[in-house]
Amino acid sequence: MAAAALREQLNALLSSMFASGLVDEQFQQLQMLQEDGGTPGFVAEVVTLFCDDADRIISELAALLDQPIVDFDKVDAYVHQLKGSSASVGAQKVKFTCMQFRQLCQDKNRDGCIMALAVVRNEFYDLRNKFQTMLQLEQQIQAQQ
Amino acid sequence: MRPEERDAAVGRVRDQFPVGMRVLAVDDDPVCLKVLENLLRRCQYHVTTTNQAVVALSMLRQNRDLFDLVISDVHMPDMDGFKLLELVGLEMDLPVIMLSVNGETKTVMKGITHGACDYLLKPVRLEELRNIWQHVVRRKFSNCDRANNDGYEECNRPSNADFDLAHSQITAGPPDQSGRPSKKRKEYHSEEEDEGEESNGQDNDDPSAPKKPRVVWSVELHRKFVAAVNQLGIDKAVPKRILELMNVERLTRENVASHLQKYRLYLKRLSAVASQQASIVAALGGNDPFMRMSAFEGLHGYQSFVSSAALPSFSPQGLLNRNNPASFAIQGVSASRPIQIATGNTTMSHSIGDPNDKYHLSLPGTSCLQGNLAQGLPTPVGQVQLPQKWIHEETDDLSTILSASGRANSGVPGTLQSVTNSHLLQQGFVERRQDKVVIQPSSSASSDRPEGTVGVSSSLMDSCATQQRVVPLSAFSSSASPMNGSFCSNGVAELGATSSGGTSIFPSNDLRIERDSKVGASSFGSVILLSPDTVPNQKYLNFGGGSDLRSNMEGGNAGNLLNPKLLWSCLPASQPPNLIGSHHPMSQRLNLGGSMVRQTTASASAAAPQTRIDMFISGDAPKSASDLSFPKVHSELSSSSCSFDGLLNSIIKVEKDDASFSDDLGCDLYSLGACI
Repeated sequence: MAAAALREQLNALLSSMFASGLVDEQFQQLQMLQEDGGTPGFVAEVVTLFCDDADRIISELAALLDQPIVDFDKVDAYVHQLKGSSASVGAQKVKFTCMQFRQLCQDKNRDGCIMALAVVRNEFYDLRNKFQTMLQLEQQIQAQQ
Repeated sequence: MRPEERDAAVGRVRDQFPVGMRVLAVDDDPVCLKVLENLLRRCQYHVTTTNQAVVALSMLRQNRDLFDLVISDVHMPDMDGFKLLELVGLEMDLPVIMLSVNGETKTVMKGITHGACDYLLKPVRLEELRNIWQHVVRRKFSNCDRANNDGYEECNRPSNADFDLAHSQITAGPPDQSGRPSKKRKEYHSEEEDEGEESNGQDNDDPSAPKKPRVVWSVELHRKFVAAVNQLGIDKAVPKRILELMNVERLTRENVASHLQKYRLYLKRLSAVASQQASIVAALGGNDPFMRMSAFEGLHGYQSFVSSAALPSFSPQGLLNRNNPASFAIQGVSASRPIQIATGNTTMSHSIGDPNDKYHLSLPGTSCLQGNLAQGLPTPVGQVQLPQKWIHEETDDLSTILSASGRANSGVPGTLQSVTNSHLLQQGFVERRQDKVVIQPSSSASSDRPEGTVGVSSSLMDSCATQQRVVPLSAFSSSASPMNGSFCSNGVAELGATSSGGTSIFPSNDLRIERDSKVGASSFGSVILLSPDTVPNQKYLNFGGGSDLRSNMEGGNAGNLLNPKLLWSCLPASQPPNLIGSHHPMSQRLNLGGSMVRQTTASASAAAPQTRIDMFISGDAPKSASDLSFPKVHSELSSSSCSFDGLLNSIIKVEKDDASFSDDLGCDLYSLGACI
C-alpha cells in the first residue's frame, strides 16, 4: 500500500477515535508533543506503556474481585491508577468508566464492581485494538519511507 | 528531547531561567511518568524521573542540591505521596508539587496542608508545567525570610529574659552580624542572578553569599530530633535543649532551630487542615480566631501633643494579643525631638516612666500588660539621649478608630505612655513587654539632612495563666512617628486634617512568635533612614506596621511564623508644599524581622546602616493620614500577599506624582505590587 493511502487510513482512524470519544485532547497533546518536540515514537511508547499497564491492572482487578472477600481498598487503588494512566494517555472512555468503577468501589458494591470491570475491560480492549491498528499503520508508514 | 548533560543545563540556566531547572518527577505509573517527563522536557527543564518514592527520597538525600523542584504523584504503592512530601519538606527545603488524578477538595487540601506548593491534576497540561518555576523562585524568597527569622529568634530571646544582655549584644554586636543585612540587600539587587543561581544550585561561587554546608536530615536524624522534641514537649522544645538531647556531632544549634521551625510549621499545617477554610472565611468575614487582627502600633514623635487623628482607622476585628514592638532604636533624631511610640489604641494611657530607664507599663484595667521599656535611650556610639522625648505606646484594637480616640498626652518629657486595648485584658493575657528605645543622632545627621534610623524590635513575653491556643493577633501596625521635634505645636489632629503627602510602604517581615508553653515572644525591628535633602522641620514620619498572621497560632506549637505587613507611611504633614514640591528622596531602611542584635548593630553605624529591607521613597504622595483605613489596607495586602517574603529584601521605590493627591493607599499598594 502506498504511504499516502496508509497515512490517510491512519488519519481516518484517529479521526474516528476522537469523534467517538475514545480519546480526548490529551491524546492530541501527546501527538503534538511528538511532532513539535522532535520525539519520534513518543506516542507509540506511551500507548504501549498504557496498554501493558492497563492490561496488568485489569488482570489484577479481576483477581481481586474474584476473592471471596474483596479488598475494596486495593481495588480502589488499582482503579485509581488506571484512571490516572488513562487520563494521561487521553483514553477518555476508559477514564470515565474508571470513575464509575471507583464510585461502586467506594460503595463496596462487589457486583457493581464486577460489572464495572467488564465495562472497563471492554472499553480498554476496544481502545487497544484501535491503538494497535494505529501503531501498525505508523510502522508501515515508516517502513515505506 | 535529547537528554542533556547537567553541566550543559547548568550553563544554560544562568542565562535563561527557568530553562534547565532541575525537576525530579516521581510517579509509580509508568504512563503518567512518561508523559510527565516529556512535558517537562518540553518546557526545557532538566528532568529526572523515578517511579519509586523511596528512590526519589534517597536521590534527594544524597544530593538535594541537584534538584530545584519535586513533582510527585499522590498515590504510590511504596510510599504515600504525602509522606514523601512531608519528608522532603522536613529534610530539604525543596518545593514539591503534588500530582493526582483525584481532584477532591479534601485530597487537595491535604496536599497543600502537608506543604505542597501546588497541586496539579492529571492529566497535566503543558501550560501548567510552564509556570511551575515560580515555586522555585518563591521558595527562594521565603528561605531568605526564614533565615532571617532564625537569627531573629535567637537574638530576641535574651532580650526577653534580660534586657541588659540584649542591650549589650546590641551595642557590641559582632561586625559579621551587621554585615549580613547588607548581604541581603545585595541579594535583592542581583535578584535576576539569584534566580539563575538558585535554579542550578551553584551559588557557591558567589562570594557575597557563601553557602553554609547543609545538614541532611536523614530519617534517623529526624527521628532523633522528634524524640528529643517529644521528650521536651513541643511547647518547651528549644533548639539548644534539642541539640543536647540529640547529641549529634556537627549539628549546630542553628540547624536544629531551622529544623524545629519547619517541624512546627509542619505540625501546625496538619492541625490547621480543618480550620483552613474557616480561616479564609474569617479573613473575609472577620470571625476567624486565627485571622483575628489586630493591633496597631505607631510611633508618634512630636513635642506637644499626640492626637489619634493621625492614626488610621481600623476595623474592629481583632485583638492584639501578643504582638508588640518591644524595643525601638531611633537614630538620627535630634535630641530634642520627641518621639512617641504608640502601640495600639485604647482609652488607657499610662505614663511609663523615665525614658532612660526601664519602663513598666501596667495597665490599670487589668494590669495584664506590662510594658517594660528597658533602656530608653542607650546608644552605641554617640548616644544623645533624648532629653525631651515622649514615648507613647498604644495597643490598639482594630475595633476602634484611632482618630476617634484622641489621646491628649500632656507633654511631659521623658514620658512613656502606653495604651492598651481592653480587649487584651479581656483575653486574660498577661503580657509583659520589654521595650527599648534607642535614639541617637546619626553621624551624618545635620540640620539639613537628618538621618534617622529607627530600629524597632519588640518582644513580648506572654505569660498568662490561661493561654489561648490561638493567637488572635494577626495584624498590627505602627503608625505615625514624627521624627522632628520641632513639630511642637501641632496636634495630631493636624495630621488628619492636612492632607499631607505620604507614602506608604508595606514591607513584610516575618515575626516569629516563640511560645514556650506560656511565653510568647515576638519582635520586629526596623531601621529607618531618613535622608531628605532638605527636611522641613515639621515633618512626620508616620510609620505603622500591620502584621498579619500568616500562620495560625496554635497553642501546641511553640514557634510560629508571622508575616506582619508593615505599613509605613511617611506623612510630611503640615508642610505639604515643601515636601511635596521637593523631590528629595526619603530613604527608609527598614530592618524588619531580623535579629534585634543585628539590627541595632547595624543602626549603630549610622553612616552605613545595614538593613535587610531598604526602601527608597522619592517624592511623596500627598495623603491624609485619616485616609489610611486599616481594613482596606489589610485587605489589599492580603490580596497581594503573594510575596511578603520578597518584600523583605526588596527595595521599594515609590515615585509619586505631586499633582496626584491620591486619597488612599491604592497607588502605594500598586507601586508596592509592582516591586513585588
